[in-house]
Amino acid sequence: MATMAQTREPRFPRQPCSGYPLDDNRGTWGIIVTICTEATLFVILFASYFYLANNKDRWAIDRPPKLMYAFIMLGILLLSSVVIHWGERQLKRERHVAARIALSITVLMGLVFLFVQALEYQDHWKSLTPYSDSYGSIFYTITTFHAAHVIVGLLILIYTLILPRFAPALRSPYRPYHVAALYWHFVDFVWVFIVGLLYVMPNIRVYGF
Amino acid sequence: MSTAEVAQRLKSTWETPKTLWGWFATVDHKEIGIRYLATAMAFLIVGGLEALVLRIQLSRPNMGLIPPEMYNQLFTMHGITMIFWYAQPILSGFAVFVIPLMIGARDMAFPRLNAFTYWVYLLSGILVYISPFMGQAPHAGWFAYMPYTGEQFSPAYGMDFYALSLILFTISMTGGAINFIVTILRLRAPGMTVNRMPLFLYSTLTISWVSIFGMPSLTAANVFMELDRRWGTHFFGIAGGGNPVLWQQLFWFFGHPWVYIIFLPATGMLSMIIPVFSRRPIVGYPWVAISTILTGAVGFSVWLHHMFTVGMSAMAMSFFSAGSMMISIFTTIQVFAWVATIWKGRLVMTAAMHYALGAVALLVIGGLSGVFTGIIPVDWQAHNTYYVVAHIHYVLIGANVFPVFAGFYYWLPKMTGRMMNEKLGKWSFWTMFIGFNVGFFPMHIVGLLGMPRRIYTYPAGLGFESLNMIETIGAFVLGIGILMSIVNLFYSLRRGAIAGKNPWNADTLEWSTDSPPEPYAHVHMPTVSSRHPLWDDYDEFDDPDDDRIYDEGRLTPVSDWLDAVPFAVSKMPKETISPLLLSLAMFGFFLALIFQMMWCALAGFIAMLLLTCYWLWPRVEGEEIA
Repeated sequence: MATMAQTREPRFPRQPCSGYPLDDNRGTWGIIVTICTEATLFVILFASYFYLANNKDRWAIDRPPKLMYAFIMLGILLLSSVVIHWGERQLKRERHVAARIALSITVLMGLVFLFVQALEYQDHWKSLTPYSDSYGSIFYTITTFHAAHVIVGLLILIYTLILPRFAPALRSPYRPYHVAALYWHFVDFVWVFIVGLLYVMPNIRVYGF
Repeated sequence: MSTAEVAQRLKSTWETPKTLWGWFATVDHKEIGIRYLATAMAFLIVGGLEALVLRIQLSRPNMGLIPPEMYNQLFTMHGITMIFWYAQPILSGFAVFVIPLMIGARDMAFPRLNAFTYWVYLLSGILVYISPFMGQAPHAGWFAYMPYTGEQFSPAYGMDFYALSLILFTISMTGGAINFIVTILRLRAPGMTVNRMPLFLYSTLTISWVSIFGMPSLTAANVFMELDRRWGTHFFGIAGGGNPVLWQQLFWFFGHPWVYIIFLPATGMLSMIIPVFSRRPIVGYPWVAISTILTGAVGFSVWLHHMFTVGMSAMAMSFFSAGSMMISIFTTIQVFAWVATIWKGRLVMTAAMHYALGAVALLVIGGLSGVFTGIIPVDWQAHNTYYVVAHIHYVLIGANVFPVFAGFYYWLPKMTGRMMNEKLGKWSFWTMFIGFNVGFFPMHIVGLLGMPRRIYTYPAGLGFESLNMIETIGAFVLGIGILMSIVNLFYSLRRGAIAGKNPWNADTLEWSTDSPPEPYAHVHMPTVSSRHPLWDDYDEFDDPDDDRIYDEGRLTPVSDWLDAVPFAVSKMPKETISPLLLSLAMFGFFLALIFQMMWCALAGFIAMLLLTCYWLWPRVEGEEIA
């Protein structure tokens, strides 16, 4: 293998190729457009929620969801966004160990989030299931869709964690940390809307401010 | 190094090995584009044959060729085959083949994603075509209204196949849209600023964004449907507090933008072909570009016009009626730009130009009947009659099939290296054009006479008989016309005249490559200084110091999305089998979901996960040139 490398032309090379750096932004563009379409999916889900809410006689207004778990989960996710952002800044300064530690903490926080969501479901299930009515169906569908995105986000983060290197090295779209972080920020951001629309708003409508 | 040596070196870098493995592993956009086209044409033929069976059944009153349930399954399969598995993918095929050449790049931005979206598209089509062999095809029309599609009224697996194969299909289309967006915004040749982009790029870019924002609605609707059918939720059932109209809202929020997704790239193709055969630049380039984008944007605010009979507030209906009318302004701008181009130009009446002109004529007729159905009282009269059938076929055949055939006659010489037979092409055009009008114009009349769509037969004495017979004859003539073009294709593959680089003396960059193009497209990557690179005096390939060869591996230049100023070099992946394997795992996953074999689905999911990890794992590329 080594001999092959020597027999070829010098590696990276000649004007103006050497004048331009390798493009490492392609994956970022890809994930941003992906986030656009995923965000639209959640917009559609929220729109369905409010469309079904026209059915006023059996809706969240009877039994607004409890807020405690949702706010704990919100705190976890927002903090995890801060942690991974800090990790990315460390990576920019080439502190790879710190970046990996930040990533590991983010993964742990994501797992805690899922654990708290399981507790929330367990509690919530006593009064509401997806089979009880349209409110239950859409409520559990939206939160489960989000949980699925958290799981996918965690898989991406774990995969990034076990990658041998983070730096934009030989391959062009190679900024895995950045791409993973962008997706994770998106997942966190969706939860803000879920808390606002699915948890807080029904409570305001029933109990006022 | 001499040019020949450089070309040889580039070829060895970019060429896919001509082995069985290479056939399955290729990421070459030219190969994948041709596969899209061939697959979509196959679906066109299958859907067309289904239509002919339907037409025979309707040719006489009280025909008993096929039983009612089979008729329902056939028209549903005809509809979804044509609208989903033919109409958009065939445009994707042209775009995948042509766009990298047109913008002077060596491949799409994500070549492996490109292969993946093709395989997923193919497998989603195979998935939905399993159902007819079980005798349980979807049977509720292409828009599958609830509650008829619920478990109570459609207990067979047909609607599950519909829902899950469409979700698989949206994955393919969304992936393709992401790829087009990043390709068009980042890989354009230096100097190809946004105001110099060929109009086909504008239409493809617009519909890619429309796909990004439109497809999730279809996904959500189908997820809800599947959950309602098999998992006991209550999205659409009134008894459980759901609302069947939610399905219509979600479906049409996707569905109407989808009409523009399968319509705009075709108009983009017309905007490429008509100026070339009028021997002059298109009239009103910026207006055509702007109206393309606005059609895509305003296309999101017209979906309610499919639902005027549902019973909504007058305010909502007026708003959407006005939106629908507004769209016709943007289409009209394009039509007038083409007419002015033809008027001011010197026409060269090739077969491609015949198809393009025919498309404009049919689009005008279809557009006008669309304006009628956009007017609420007329819509109430014409709703669910053959008038609507006539309208969608004029729009879809006029603004999709005819431009696609124009595109075939125009771009096939580039793909195959051989010219199509012009004479047979013109015969094919006139047969198709006459057959189509004979077959579909009477549908306006039977529609206004009151013949509802989607009935498997009708009694004698209602005044439908002779018109339906004429329609059937016309449909067969249309089929014969299409067959003639297919014969022409196979004839030209063997006997056609050698095309050469630029047989039409056209203006865009794809015509500067060999026919068929070498795997690396251009030796010297082009720079562009006008809207019509091959018509101006500037030499796009002038590169005396060999600065723009990029032969150190699979490389293509990256430029700024607005001004096309180059700032980086992008490294492209080599061929790999993982897109095919991942799409197969996904196919298995969705097939298992249809039959609710959850352990198989879990196995499929884990397989997908592992294959994704394998796909994305960074290879040690030390032995290659980085």
